[in-house]
Amino acid sequence: MSVLIIIFLTAVAALFAGVFEQGKFSRYIGILGLLIALYVSYLPEFSFFTQYQHMFEFGANAALFTKITIVITILLFFIAGFAFSNHRSHQSELYALMLFSLCGGVILFSFQNLVTLFLGIEILSIPLYVLAGSNKTDLRSNEASIKYFLMGAFATGFLLFGVALIYGSSGSFDLYKIHEFAVTNPKNLMFILGAVLMLVALAFKVSLAPFHMWSPDVYQGSPSLITAFMMSVVKISAFFAFFKLMTIGFLGITGEWINIIGVLIIITLFLANVMGLAQTNAKRMLAYSSVSHVGYLTLIFYGMNSLSSYNLAFYLFAYSLATVGVMMCLIWVEKLKRETSYNAFRGLAHTEPILAVTATVSLLSMAGIPLTAGFMGKFAIFAQAIESTPFLVLVAVLGSAISIAYYLRLIMAMFFPKESSFKTSEKVSLTYNIVAVFIIFALVAMGVFPDLFAKQFGL
Amino acid sequence: MSYLLLTLLLLPLVGSGLVFAWKNPASKYLALGIAFAQMFLTFYMLSNFDFKPTVDGVLQYEINYPWSNYIKSNLHFGIDGMSMLMLLLTNILTPLIILSSFNEKPGYRNTFYGLILLMQFGLVGVFTSLDGLLFYIFWEVTLIPIWLIAGIWGQENKKVQFTTRFFVYTFVGSLFMLIGLIYVYTHSASFALTDLYNADLNELQQTVIFWFIFFAFAVKLPIFPFHSWQADTYTYSPTQGSMLLSGIMLKMAIFGLLRWLLPITPAPILGISGQIVLVLAIIGVVHGALIAIIQNDSKRLIAYSSLSHVGLMTAGIMASAILTTKGILMIEGGEGALVQAFAHGINVVGLFYCADILYKRFKTRDIRQMGGLARVAPKFAILFLVILLGSIALPLTNGFVGEFILIKSIFDYSIIAAVIAGTTMIFSSVYLFRFYGKAMFGEGDERILETAGDLTGVEFAVLASLTVFVILLGIFPQPIIEMVNTPLKFIFTSMMN
Repeated sequence: MSVLIIIFLTAVAALFAGVFEQGKFSRYIGILGLLIALYVSYLPEFSFFTQYQHMFEFGANAALFTKITIVITILLFFIAGFAFSNHRSHQSELYALMLFSLCGGVILFSFQNLVTLFLGIEILSIPLYVLAGSNKTDLRSNEASIKYFLMGAFATGFLLFGVALIYGSSGSFDLYKIHEFAVTNPKNLMFILGAVLMLVALAFKVSLAPFHMWSPDVYQGSPSLITAFMMSVVKISAFFAFFKLMTIGFLGITGEWINIIGVLIIITLFLANVMGLAQTNAKRMLAYSSVSHVGYLTLIFYGMNSLSSYNLAFYLFAYSLATVGVMMCLIWVEKLKRETSYNAFRGLAHTEPILAVTATVSLLSMAGIPLTAGFMGKFAIFAQAIESTPFLVLVAVLGSAISIAYYLRLIMAMFFPKESSFKTSEKVSLTYNIVAVFIIFALVAMGVFPDLFAKQFGL
Repeated sequence: MSYLLLTLLLLPLVGSGLVFAWKNPASKYLALGIAFAQMFLTFYMLSNFDFKPTVDGVLQYEINYPWSNYIKSNLHFGIDGMSMLMLLLTNILTPLIILSSFNEKPGYRNTFYGLILLMQFGLVGVFTSLDGLLFYIFWEVTLIPIWLIAGIWGQENKKVQFTTRFFVYTFVGSLFMLIGLIYVYTHSASFALTDLYNADLNELQQTVIFWFIFFAFAVKLPIFPFHSWQADTYTYSPTQGSMLLSGIMLKMAIFGLLRWLLPITPAPILGISGQIVLVLAIIGVVHGALIAIIQNDSKRLIAYSSLSHVGLMTAGIMASAILTTKGILMIEGGEGALVQAFAHGINVVGLFYCADILYKRFKTRDIRQMGGLARVAPKFAILFLVILLGSIALPLTNGFVGEFILIKSIFDYSIIAAVIAGTTMIFSSVYLFRFYGKAMFGEGDERILETAGDLTGVEFAVLASLTVFVILLGIFPQPIIEMVNTPLKFIFTSMMN
């Protein structure tokens, strides 16, 4: 709770700091506030208000995911100075909105009540509708904003209808009361219908196919830093809410929804990877790759055990770090070339080796190559699921096999040409390089010493 | 706890880091120095190596550290005779491969040598790891450097297409192996080798896992229907890339077959699966040799000859394995395959280097346009001939010993199979002598021959070192055979129950 309050106050302060100077203060205030929040989340006092009126519960999982999202947001704030340098005005609003969105994420990590779930999702999403369209002169950005808003509104409708049906059948909004009801009445039709509607709504939010149609356009149209934010922090938050709702609230009727999820996984992995292969634009490819990662992640619902939420955290953190790593490279290229086709990356390794290596390690991590965090994440999820559903794991493996081809294309564009298409006078800033080295280091460290991460996050 | 093995593992890794960081043309000497240090360390370990250990003490220089409770995996490394042989192969060839590129100007030199050392790190890891997950990780670690070497320094116009194919092919194979290993792991206590051997699996499960894991090895080797990436990759990679791939990397699969696949899944070998693999391998022997005969591109010819030789090694292993699972303990196939793996590594690296030397002289890989080099380059003609004879498996060369044991082991299983597989000796002399005859004798372009010249110092050093091994192992094969005897007995015995 204290972390939530700190982030919220930081956001307000960042908003008002925009009065003085164009966004610069807001960024520093944001970073400072997030660092304080990160520090506080390590204190035992984090358990202050562990239970708030049956609305929030700040347990170990909430703490773990809060830490992850704060770290990712800090990284994004560090590179935001460069990414937003084109925005002449209204910069501080962008930082403030990102922080407000993060508040929504923290609420989602700790919801215990369907009302809080709804509030969290809306607080997470509404700032994003604005952020997606923040590049006001760009038509694609406007399109992204409208599209995201309309789809988000649909999802909200499904969610609320689902909540209403659940409330109507079980008589409570409380997650644990719903759990009890589901265990005792596993065949209540109204309840099952409500659960399925909520599943659809959350599938929209995490972009599981076939509810993913908005995401490539929105991810491509939004300003790149915002895209990185959506792919990482927003995805972590929405997915954790999905996970918690399904594995606590609807655990009693697992048999009713697990097959639906299985079908969604197959569609997602197939569609996203094949579509990703067809792309010529790196940003759009990453959007499809992001959808495909939700497919792998969703395997977490199979073969659940006590380590599942930790496996989920590991995968999401690995994926988010890798996303930030690729996106920071993409932001730099986009700034210089004003486009993000594979060709725009030609020979990047010769002029900016650190940036190119960051993107490469990140892409290899996304593809699940050993000695990177992504491999350990995939490994944990596959090992967990293989006993209960070998077929889906096989589908996932075939999916990663397809995915490697499009990740390679970007790496090859950076490394293989003998000459670079970049002028040598352009150099990235020190902050940028520090973040890049941090990401390489973190991805490799998590891949080589998976237990280190566990200790870091108190497991 | 053995600091020697730890040094052997970390030296190339640290070395590659240093070479990457030092952007200086002199970094090639640093790379060479590290590779030689690694070689001497291997020799030192060999000199302290117990050649005839009891089965219990089969592992030497063992390292065992807890690594991750999260996935029940240990940092467990150790050397038995099989590993020792493969380490010798890796660490003898790597300095020679580095040396062989000294005359070239590949551009971004330090990256090139750094990648070779990184690859060496991966190879040492593959050959020494005793934990399933570590094996898989190192298996993949070797893939990235070779892919970058092939992609960055490969032949310009074709490289994007073929490197993608190569990478996707091998990566898909590895993923299947990973799934297989994970499945075994969920039925065993941990990833430790002995736990995987004792995993509780029924015959159907074993059959599925056999094919999943075998797929990875089949692509790497490559075995007959999975070989379509091979010729292109060998042809369009830089010479050092082809040497690494064919000389050392495909031995990972031979090694993996013996150490990781057969003992974990003995049941399907007794069934139809073992025979399918044997048949595929023998098809590969004939198929590769026949295609090699009609090749005019020198590197492509060597690539197909490699396909043929590898098929024979696999066939030998499978023949012995099938007999063993039937209750007759036979280790000849494994012995022959390992001896031949070592010999083939030396020979194929030599052949690729000879092709490279010819390419430098004639500016073409088309053997129809070569000719008459023996007249102006006698030293080269002799060294090339020795390596060639080794590859043809002439008695008293290193190739003969392995091929003889292999054909004998196939003979024990089936006479017809042995007859078909034995054609490799005939065919290999056909295509290699055609190659040698065209390049060394016959009509040559006089203007080229005037400027061609004999071997340079570097070229002579590399080829001469290789020929020493060709002859030495042809005359004294016994130490190698003894070295692999005990571990093979251990592996094949564990397949019997």
